[in-house]
Amino acid sequence: MDFDFSSLLAFIMFGLTIGVVYGIVALGISLIYSGLDIVHFAHGEVYMFGAFFGLVFSSQMGLPYPLALLAAMISIGLLGIVIERVFYRRLTRSGGGYTVAGMGMIICGFGMSVVLQNIAFLIWGADAEPFPVDLGPALEVGDITLPRSYGLTAIIAVVLMAALHLFLKKTRTGLAVRAVAANKDIAFLMGINVPLMISVIFGLACALAAAAGTLIGPMQSVQVEMGYLMLMKAFAAAVVGGFGSLPGAIIGGLLVGIFENLGAAYISPNHKDIYAFLLLILVLMIRPSGLFGVEVRVKA
Amino acid sequence: MFRDPPGGCVSAGAGGVGGPAGVMLKVSGLETGYGRVRILRGVDLEVGAGQIVALLGGNGTGKSTLLRAVSGLLPTWEGSIEFDGETIHRLRPDQIVRRGLVQVTQGKDSYPAMTVEENLMLGAHIRAGRREIADDLERIYGFFPRLRERRSQMSGTLSGGEVQMLVIGRGLMARPRLIMLDEPSAALAPKVVLDIFVAINRIRDTGVTVLIVEQNVRMALLLAEYGYIIRDGLILMEGEAKGLLADPNVKSSFLGGSVAGSEDELVH
Repeated sequence: MDFDFSSLLAFIMFGLTIGVVYGIVALGISLIYSGLDIVHFAHGEVYMFGAFFGLVFSSQMGLPYPLALLAAMISIGLLGIVIERVFYRRLTRSGGGYTVAGMGMIICGFGMSVVLQNIAFLIWGADAEPFPVDLGPALEVGDITLPRSYGLTAIIAVVLMAALHLFLKKTRTGLAVRAVAANKDIAFLMGINVPLMISVIFGLACALAAAAGTLIGPMQSVQVEMGYLMLMKAFAAAVVGGFGSLPGAIIGGLLVGIFENLGAAYISPNHKDIYAFLLLILVLMIRPSGLFGVEVRVKA
Repeated sequence: MFRDPPGGCVSAGAGGVGGPAGVMLKVSGLETGYGRVRILRGVDLEVGAGQIVALLGGNGTGKSTLLRAVSGLLPTWEGSIEFDGETIHRLRPDQIVRRGLVQVTQGKDSYPAMTVEENLMLGAHIRAGRREIADDLERIYGFFPRLRERRSQMSGTLSGGEVQMLVIGRGLMARPRLIMLDEPSAALAPKVVLDIFVAINRIRDTGVTVLIVEQNVRMALLLAEYGYIIRDGLILMEGEAKGLLADPNVKSSFLGGSVAGSEDELVH
């Protein structure tokens, strides 16, 4: 194959765009991990629901795309809070991932994933649904042509990350969220309503997954089984970046996105989904705690 | 330096309480523990308004367990806890903090990955009013000038004495009416311990009631008006601080007790 610099650049840009979306989902997984002490295995299905909600708000109810995205984030965020309050609360209350109850939590997460997938199947069926969004003409960057949705995805993703960063660093609630994630007992002694903050963390993480779903929808299509692969890739991104680290989740997502696109372009496009895990194995061999992981903690 | 101690005499065994009229915290027959292991086996304790009361005991006697139960971090199995006449042992910890009862943990329980100022602002989480909070922040910095110098440093980089000042300052940011200090002298150099104890005395002079848990028996009894000695989850002795200081039984039951927590030194 002739080496073509501009197509390499194009692959990297595609990779970055899909990578920020992995990063957003990974961010949610990391938030839940540090806030609730659990790995949330139903997060792929939350993302899938987000994509369907975005589709419903945009195509069926005719909301403009950014509004549909916002509506999907809010409704899935609230749905997440209901799931956490009704199903997960009982398990996390008796101890998170550090305890035997943490194992029950993992099984509960898998069960939730199956339930959500089947609910989606009942509502929307098994067929892939197109997510048509008119975003105007393609973008020309040098000799590279990017579909309009890619540029928009990157911008929205960056805005979401910046908003999350400002929330965590500059607001009182954000400070309380960080305190709860770092140490729940001490957070309680600061007068923080820890159960409420845990709901906030879970809702935020689900809203981020919904945003990712609505962003991916127009690029691919929306389908009941789309959650599984996203969970695996976002999980790989979170681990590559260092589990529980928020900047790590984003960097991990970008790396997974780029690695996967370059692998598909220069090695074989038939095995596109393998490269993320190849990267995961490579990083874990060199740095078992991930690129930004500071400590290795054992969780069930 | 110290106020008149309240009436009360040195007595062996739990029971007779010699607190003053204004009882702020009243613990009655408290039993609690971890899992199925019972640590406290019926503790009675009172803290009078405006006092410094010391709770003394060696490692593993149930001192910290008592504080955790009063703060609501541990469930009360038997007995009751009253604060200002209100039963609080079924409240969530944050609800107890909102009533003005604040526990200050040991220095190692700061948020090491947050800055000094963020730690202090967390202490003011329950309060409204930016102006007042900013004023209190200045007050704390005036109280502990070292914290002002290090306001934007991660608290994990502070020395043992500085981080102890930080957690006390963080507790004061909540504007408590009763502050409970968990071994403020643990693993600190004698000079620093003196600074901390002077600060605690000043806190009381601003009208805040203090319950201090200590292994450093002599220092704590010099500071406090009233003392309790806990052993194996029971109050072994209680009485006014001067009396306990002079009591040979106290000295004998605390051989080596005045050396600041040796176990904690290993942790640091």
